[in-house]
Amino acid sequence: MNTSRSLLWQIVLILVIIAVCVFPFYWMVTTSLKTQIVALEAPPVWLFEPTLQNYREALFEDAVLRTLINSLIIAVCTTALALLLGVPAAFALARFEFRGKKDLWFWFITNRMVSPIVLALPFFLIARSLNLLDKHITLILIYLTFNLPIVIWIVTDQFRGIPYDLDEAARLEGASQFTIMRKICLPLAMPGVAVSAIFSFIFSWNELMFGLILTRTEAKTAPAMAVSFMEGYNLPYGKIMATSTLIVIPVLIFALIASKQLVRGLTMGAVK
Amino acid sequence: MRAQVSRRTIFAFIGPAVFGLAIVGIAPLLYAGWTSLHFFNLTKLKRIKFIGLENYWSVLTDEVFWQAMGRTFFLLCTALPLQIALGLGIALILHKPGLGLLKTLARLSLVLPMATTYAVVGLLGQVMFNQKFGVVNQLMGGANINWIGDPTNAFAMIIFWDVWQWTPFVALVLLAGLTMVPGEVEEAARLETKSWWVVLRHVQLPFLLPGLVAVLILRTADTLKLFDMVFTLTRGGPGSSTEFISLMIQRVGFRGFDQGLASAQAIILLIITIVLAQIYIRVFYKEV
Amino acid sequence: MKLNRLLCSVALASVMATGALADDSDWSYKKAAEPYAGTTIDVVFLLRPGYEAIEAMLPEFENETGIKVNVIKHPYENALGEQVRDFVAGGDLDIALIDLVWIGNFAENDWILPIENFTSNAAITDPDLDLDDFFPLVLDAFGSWNGTVYGLPFDNYSGLLFYNRCMLEEAGFDGPPQTWTELKDTYGPALTKDGKYAFALQSKRNETQSADSFARVLWPFGGSFLDEEFKSNLNSEESQTGLKFRQDLMQYMPDGIVAYDHAEAVNGFAQGDVAMITEWSAFYSTVVSPDTSSVADCVEIAPEPKGPAGRKPALGGFSLAVASQADEAEQAAAWLFIQWATSKANALEYLERGGVPARQSAYEDPALAEKYKFVPALVESWQDGVPEFRPRFAEWPEITEIVQEWGTKIMLGEVTTEEGAQEIGSRMETVLEDAGYYSGEKPLAQ
Repeated sequence: MNTSRSLLWQIVLILVIIAVCVFPFYWMVTTSLKTQIVALEAPPVWLFEPTLQNYREALFEDAVLRTLINSLIIAVCTTALALLLGVPAAFALARFEFRGKKDLWFWFITNRMVSPIVLALPFFLIARSLNLLDKHITLILIYLTFNLPIVIWIVTDQFRGIPYDLDEAARLEGASQFTIMRKICLPLAMPGVAVSAIFSFIFSWNELMFGLILTRTEAKTAPAMAVSFMEGYNLPYGKIMATSTLIVIPVLIFALIASKQLVRGLTMGAVK
Repeated sequence: MRAQVSRRTIFAFIGPAVFGLAIVGIAPLLYAGWTSLHFFNLTKLKRIKFIGLENYWSVLTDEVFWQAMGRTFFLLCTALPLQIALGLGIALILHKPGLGLLKTLARLSLVLPMATTYAVVGLLGQVMFNQKFGVVNQLMGGANINWIGDPTNAFAMIIFWDVWQWTPFVALVLLAGLTMVPGEVEEAARLETKSWWVVLRHVQLPFLLPGLVAVLILRTADTLKLFDMVFTLTRGGPGSSTEFISLMIQRVGFRGFDQGLASAQAIILLIITIVLAQIYIRVFYKEV
Repeated sequence: MKLNRLLCSVALASVMATGALADDSDWSYKKAAEPYAGTTIDVVFLLRPGYEAIEAMLPEFENETGIKVNVIKHPYENALGEQVRDFVAGGDLDIALIDLVWIGNFAENDWILPIENFTSNAAITDPDLDLDDFFPLVLDAFGSWNGTVYGLPFDNYSGLLFYNRCMLEEAGFDGPPQTWTELKDTYGPALTKDGKYAFALQSKRNETQSADSFARVLWPFGGSFLDEEFKSNLNSEESQTGLKFRQDLMQYMPDGIVAYDHAEAVNGFAQGDVAMITEWSAFYSTVVSPDTSSVADCVEIAPEPKGPAGRKPALGGFSLAVASQADEAEQAAAWLFIQWATSKANALEYLERGGVPARQSAYEDPALAEKYKFVPALVESWQDGVPEFRPRFAEWPEITEIVQEWGTKIMLGEVTTEEGAQEIGSRMETVLEDAGYYSGEKPLAQ
């Protein structure tokens, strides 16, 4: 009896958790299907005749699609670059002995903590003098400041958890460190690499401040686009929610597909 | 035994990352350091001049700056305990055996908030917390609460969204920690005591600690960086009630165009961040 | 005004000099644009009715001239930052969109060119440009700095009193309040009841706070931002009276008015929750359209109420100027577009599509007042006003941030009007000192 009551409680609580997590998305999507008049009705209505007009406007008149493509290009490239640079560095930090290692690791991680506004000001001026404003490459590079630390942090932990005797044989056979990393350690560290890649992608896709300051039209990112409808004169709530939905759907689908790796890899250096 | 390798090998592995991060991380900081020592206004580039530490002096004596700083830490001190408490609760509920499908569903839903674009969270907040046509007041039984226009309520609303977005992250990290506890140890403990608290304190906590420290570090950093959600939700208002440190620097640097002053503010923020990071990592985090 | 005439005569003289006076009738945008066909010009537009109006008319211009206009849309609050960053970076913008408070900044940085550079070239100057046809106040305030004309008034506003006749009649009033005091003391209590409010003053912490709220209560009560020496005048008796009046008036406004931007104030009015608002002329179409307003039939418009110092309605608006960073062909194309968009010939169509032209000739037809109720009040407001309603010097972007911050704190009661004014004053003076106004380095122009 006691257990069935506690089971009931568990079910109720889990349902509450799900509802709280999902409801805002439900509201976002339904608002995006409302006309401005319906969206402004007070108290809000739950049943109404849906319209796709907001999506039509967002996609065809305001070129949201292009900003989505920009965001995709930037997020994929910066993630790839962060892995390319970060995985070998993580391997060295985990398995080599050298002076200043601790400080170096600390410096990498600290970069993750730096507020983007600290970098945005000077980066704007530098990009301006190098004629790099409004270019994809600029965002791809600057996103490294938060992606590289994440990759190094998570993947270093993963490499450290791999026992040394595994690659003993390979080393005796004269394999280079690079081969050991690639052939032996990397496959075992895959969960961590995947998690850091997922995080990189999500953080880059969602980033707003750099996108706002360093792009204008050509490389404008999707979050910067969503913000650009916020004219104090007239807030088109339906269209803003339609754009929001378009921005969020891809990353949510991505996160859901990757959720298994995500949940498994979030051990954050717990004892292996 | 860790491998003894040549300097060249070490450099080959670690050099590119150091080089890459130095270009995008350090070069702008040096530039910001230079800017912060000058009168440097974007709309008065003809009048750039060296003024020594004057900008730093202005920042350090400006109560508005310290108020924004205090507000930021107040947010951290209110939101983070909530996130950890709720996150731990969720993790424990999901860690209980049984209810496979429902728990999978819950885990999937937990992934959603943390993946959501922060700017979109703010926009969503504007729609849902509107006094007149917002669904939050409706769900609260037709309450007439002025969320966005009242300083205290606006702050509460920011806390709500921060907790909504990041509690799932905490929950998932802690859940991962819980699954690390060897099954037989946990079972043995449960046979000895009925109190979940004892089990948590003595058996599970050691496995949760690394995750908690990581959460502490990441959430502190993210609160100091907090910009997007507040920018789209309240823009720091009403008054200055939700103007956190990153919003303030953005305002000075890109709306007032005083890049010199903003750089000085940014560098002071950076110093505070590094000190905090040092403390956290050296004190709590397992050494490399 | 002398200068404008001078410019006109210069233009005229050059037309005659080329012996082209007889060709006036021959001049057309098509012909003038021939060398520049295929040129693309970049301009920032806002998400406001005046821009939608001109965008709807754009194909006409593009077809005739072969010039392509590339419109980059931004909300107002981002438009200054976007443009400043573009000009600082030597970017692509060929036309500057200038809010009247930005003109000192843009002109002093040489980001924009005086129109004299182009009026002297008859080949690309519309013989019917007629600068004297613009409302002098508007051309002076929106387009000129230090006596030089840079931009032509494009998206033009004056503050107006929008009132809900039905609500006023129900409360026993047969007309709008004539003075601010009357609005507060007589209309305020009578109209604030049952969840309805007499008034809403948009006061959100952005330019709205400075322009629509703070400055609006300074001037009618005889206050101002600065005195003759460019020191703060905010602690003067008159300025304080105005700021205290605003605090008092808040009891007749909806809660959380400090979070109200234009959209919220206009919505409140259009939904019938608020009886009166002081808003820009540009909102006329929103409040009289049944699609967006449930009180469309009750809307009436009057000039803003008077204060002890007279009628000092809010003044705001934008001009378009040629950007100096554009190349020669782009500059010529941009100049042609600016003339076309602000031309006499297009003024009526612009008005009909929801824009507000600044051409006096456009409002001559008395029938217009029937169709557009805001016209008489608008024309009256533009007869005389305060060009420095908000100072237009280069330091405004910094100062407005200060006003926005402390202005909202005053309204929230976090500081008194005196303390708030003191804060704004001393911070403002620091900015002005750094700019060199007190050392005599810079002339005291606002």
